[in-house]
Amino acid sequence: MWRYVVRRLLWVVVVVLIITALTFLIFFVMPPTDPATTFAGKQPTPELIAEIKHQFGLDKPVYVQYALWLKHLVLGDEYGWPGLGFSYVTRTPVRSLLLDRLPITIQLAVGAALIWLCIGIPIGVISAVKRRSAVDRLSMGAALFFVSAPVFWLGLMALWIFWYKLHLLPGTGYVSWTDNFGSWLSHMILPWIVLALLYAAFYARMARGNLLETLGQDYIRTARVKGLPESTVILKHGLRASLTPLVTMFGLDLAGLIGGAVITETVFNLQGVGQWTVQSVFSGDLPAILAVTIVTALAITLMNLVVDIVYAYLDPRVRYA
Amino acid sequence: MGRRRTLRMVGLALAVAMVAAACGGGDNNKGATATTTGGTAQKGGVYRTAMSSFGFTQGFDPTAEYLGLAFDLYGALTRNLVSYKHVAGGAGNTLYPDLAQSLDGVASSDGLTYTFKLKPNVKFGPPVNRAITSKDVEYAFERLNIATLGAGYGTYYYESIKGMDGKAKEAKPISGIETPDDQTIVFHLKQKTSDFLYRLSMAATAPIPSEVAKCFNSKIGGYGRYVISSGPYMLQGSDKLDISSCGAMKPISGYDPTKKMVMVRNPNYDQSTDDLRGNYVDGIDIQVDSNVDDIFNKVLQGTLDGSLYEPPPATIVRQYVTDPSKKQYLHSNSGDRTWFIFMNLSTPPFDDIHVRKAANFVMNKAGILRAWGGTTFGQIATHVMPPSVINDTLGQDFDPYKSANFAGDEAKAKDEMKQSKYDSNKDGVCDASACKGLIMVNRNTPPWTNAEPVVVDSLGKIGIQVKPRELADHYTAVQTVKNQIPIGLDAGWGKDYADPGTFGAPLFGGPNIVPTNNSNYGLIGLTPEKAKDLGIKVPAGMTFPSVDADIANCNKISVEEQAEQRTSCFVDLDKKIMTDVVPWVPFLWAQNVTTTAPSVTKYEFDQFSGYISLTQIAVNNKETVSS
Amino acid sequence: MSQPVLEEIPQPAQAVSAEIKGRTNWELFRSRFVKDKAAMTGAVILVVLVLLALTAPLFAKALDHGPNELFPEMVTEDLGLPKGPNAEFWFGGDQVGRDVFIRTLYGARTSLIVALVATGLATTIGITLGLAGGFRGGAVDTIVSRFVDIVLAMPVILFAIGIAGVCSITKEGCLGGLLQPGFSLVIGIIALFTWPNIARIVRGQVLSLREREFIEASRSLGARPSRIMFRELLPNLVAPIVVYTTLMIPNNILFEAALSYLGVGVPQSTPSWGRMLADATAGSLFTFAWWMMLFPGIFLILAVVSFNLVGDGLRDALGPSER
Repeated sequence: MWRYVVRRLLWVVVVVLIITALTFLIFFVMPPTDPATTFAGKQPTPELIAEIKHQFGLDKPVYVQYALWLKHLVLGDEYGWPGLGFSYVTRTPVRSLLLDRLPITIQLAVGAALIWLCIGIPIGVISAVKRRSAVDRLSMGAALFFVSAPVFWLGLMALWIFWYKLHLLPGTGYVSWTDNFGSWLSHMILPWIVLALLYAAFYARMARGNLLETLGQDYIRTARVKGLPESTVILKHGLRASLTPLVTMFGLDLAGLIGGAVITETVFNLQGVGQWTVQSVFSGDLPAILAVTIVTALAITLMNLVVDIVYAYLDPRVRYA
Repeated sequence: MGRRRTLRMVGLALAVAMVAAACGGGDNNKGATATTTGGTAQKGGVYRTAMSSFGFTQGFDPTAEYLGLAFDLYGALTRNLVSYKHVAGGAGNTLYPDLAQSLDGVASSDGLTYTFKLKPNVKFGPPVNRAITSKDVEYAFERLNIATLGAGYGTYYYESIKGMDGKAKEAKPISGIETPDDQTIVFHLKQKTSDFLYRLSMAATAPIPSEVAKCFNSKIGGYGRYVISSGPYMLQGSDKLDISSCGAMKPISGYDPTKKMVMVRNPNYDQSTDDLRGNYVDGIDIQVDSNVDDIFNKVLQGTLDGSLYEPPPATIVRQYVTDPSKKQYLHSNSGDRTWFIFMNLSTPPFDDIHVRKAANFVMNKAGILRAWGGTTFGQIATHVMPPSVINDTLGQDFDPYKSANFAGDEAKAKDEMKQSKYDSNKDGVCDASACKGLIMVNRNTPPWTNAEPVVVDSLGKIGIQVKPRELADHYTAVQTVKNQIPIGLDAGWGKDYADPGTFGAPLFGGPNIVPTNNSNYGLIGLTPEKAKDLGIKVPAGMTFPSVDADIANCNKISVEEQAEQRTSCFVDLDKKIMTDVVPWVPFLWAQNVTTTAPSVTKYEFDQFSGYISLTQIAVNNKETVSS
Repeated sequence: MSQPVLEEIPQPAQAVSAEIKGRTNWELFRSRFVKDKAAMTGAVILVVLVLLALTAPLFAKALDHGPNELFPEMVTEDLGLPKGPNAEFWFGGDQVGRDVFIRTLYGARTSLIVALVATGLATTIGITLGLAGGFRGGAVDTIVSRFVDIVLAMPVILFAIGIAGVCSITKEGCLGGLLQPGFSLVIGIIALFTWPNIARIVRGQVLSLREREFIEASRSLGARPSRIMFRELLPNLVAPIVVYTTLMIPNNILFEAALSYLGVGVPQSTPSWGRMLADATAGSLFTFAWWMMLFPGIFLILAVVSFNLVGDGLRDALGPSER
């Protein structure tokens, strides 16, 4: 088992290397943006442009830049470890920007995840159990709607209704929970719910579908025939088989939110990794782009590994390759 | 000798006064919303505002920084030898002595020496706390001279001050600047520079304490988080900065590039030394809020006292103009800026002047203005220079491509196009393949994205089919000459300081064509040798029109002594460009729009920087900021 | 396994995780599907949408204007705000005075074309690689799986914007004119980021199928691997592929809408529901011009919902019976 883990970890490293190399390819080799031009101002002298290029490290060949970046990543640079350089836009170390933004994204992701698990799965289970009842139809109808509505639309509508029109919730922005817990909560509620609704709907549908399939299996019929109470049948035998696949999905969905919750963070002005992604691409902030890339890639590939291990633990039929 | 110098200064003052009178107040644009400057001023309160992101070009280090808003902020944080009153209109573009005791007789008769006497007992803010000396002013120039500090507009000084070339490796005394005593500073110039005083009003020349800045001379932008105040306000937390050694310094807490900038009063500031600024507010609190609509909603609700940087969306403007009680809180002031469509003379079909003229005739500028949000945001442009930059001596009355209601004149455009070699059947519509599939670079945000269909539609009428590309980094695309982008909607140009010359050489000068960061989009004055150097192909046998001689002539006329002649010379240049060269279709002379809450009892606009004047506004909220 | 492409568009995973019992009976499937009222509703809506998309040019001809004509009378003189629905412009005007009704109809074309072509492309690639990997095993499987891992770990938005930016500067675009800003680029990006999910599903199914008796029988009869793949395996994969593809289409419609919302989608001259919604939200325009948000929004949701309903119906009809 450990050999498997080690092999997978090595693979994580390789994936991250490949993806960061691709990022370099897209943004450095055939750049849609030239930082020296962007930041040089109105009438720069050629010396100024050369100086900016030099200070940004852009005057070296691309493969050298990549090698240097890797070296700093692993060994650290003047700003600390890992060495991610400084942001072209703010002139502050990328590392501290990342450390500022990561907690916000994690709070958004975890909060939404808790909500969608607590809403989505029970609703899915109940719908499956009470198949074709009014509860089933209603909840699946709602789920269908929330799965089909674009998130930016949902977010903006929610903001407009609950803040602008009804004044029930404060506007956009983030307040740290150490500063003011109540304010933090009231600012996070809407983004949590908007994000959670989308996933809850999805998980409800998946849970319902999986449970229905499982309940159609032979061994469930056997359990019923054996005289086990229905609740045991469902909760003990049905759930385990139908929810295990959801574990995999959950892990990957959660990992995907690190750097993936772009639109929610933008609409609600949460300065997390997702919002940073769009901002850094649009402003040509190459070090930030690389930082976001590596965080996203790491999150997903590591979570892939975790999820595979957990799944193997939960489902004894699965063996490691 | 003395008398002649005084007279010359009187001449300058007169010229300047005429500029002030002619430019008038902020509402010098027909149809633009009248600005409401003035009001009651009481001391106290905090101006709370927000913007979506600071967007500084060089980290807020005054030596290198070039963002227009930064000049507004420096106006509160720093003082220069000469500065402005930070008010609207021509009065806001007039120079006054700030750290200098007086401007009388500062220039020698040959214009090669400038001598200033500094006001005594003007002090730096905490933690430096000592009097500002001539050495501190010189230090600013030493930093401008350091190659690694990337001065954004260093050329202004390298070309004028002896001993400066922008290539220094470290901070060294400048041979052309003398500091015989703490109160005196003398500049020796390489040649007569008639706008030298304007150059001294730029933020990079404000005094800088070497004991702090010396730690940040190796990287561009390093000093930006440690800016020490020489003005009425300082960054909050400056007093807590530990300057005992370079290693001990931590960024001043009041400025966090991703979150906020908070300014509080500089305890060492003496109002009696300053008659240019009112300094009514106790503090300025700028937050970063990436949701722009949010910012304006907060102003409407009163949680913020006003906007700062972004223009309000049309839905917000509507709330102000349709509500009589709110109307006065919507402020529209001249931005001293022109937005235009450029055409690249090196790419067919824009090498043919008839095509360029036809484009000017056909353009539906009224539609573009509507897409921009209407007259609150500006006035339709009919030539290069905004009226406010040329003392209103030439406005919409000069329109060589007139059309009814500015909607574009398709008939006249077609007449013009018939004379072009790209219209083979002379029906007024371009039929050559050169007119199809032309890349048109545009920005990817409103209002440019809204103006795009109007432009595409207009050009289509004369057979020019463009492929719009909405780019986040449009500057790189259009300013890299090798790309040879044929046409762009993204371009704009604003003044550096109130001299029409700033709209001359950089935009239309042949020698000003550079491989990257090029602002001469049309490639006016391009020579075959330069084209080869730049590696671009030009249409066979093409001679590029040049206005270099005209620009040189106008630049010879002194800004300080012959302002009127200089302006009129550049106005003639403007007319010539619009009739004989036609590299642009100018469409808007922009207004900068700010909204304020009723808590702002006195609103003022800083004409120099183009934003709300932080040192002249007054608020009556009871907010406080901790120092 | 499922992988959200953007957080807002989680991919439907293992739509069919259990075994498929042999070949499906067409009659059985059809009767089950027809009896499913929800699925039939979805199908009807889809047909209507497709018809509207196909006949959009006819509407344009009837109204005598297309999706890009500007009508200054539909924009207010003073502030440039759009005007609402009236007798001539049923869905009102947008912020530059275009007809929202015609644009919504043309938007159907964009959404459907992009989603169908991108999904088709992704499915083709996914099936090919999934089949190859699952059936051949060994090195081929490892390569395919690793490839899938890499693509799934790529930051979608970053690369989408980056690629779009790179391909925008020159007239020819990228890859010798293959990838141009507009349809081809959007389709390419969507296909690039969604094929791994199909590949994974197919691979999983093939892995479980290939140990079955009928495959062994074929092999012992001496059938070539390609024959086994295409004659024996593929027909058994049709069910899960069809279901998954149908459920992927609405996700890709939303993907295109999200890309257009962020400004990386099709150009303005090609109406797109996503772009129209983005225009409605810029500067909170929808707080004033509700029609710009409502109509494209309804159509978008309807299209997505109906594809989902049909996909659900297909899965219920093709899958194992439930009590």
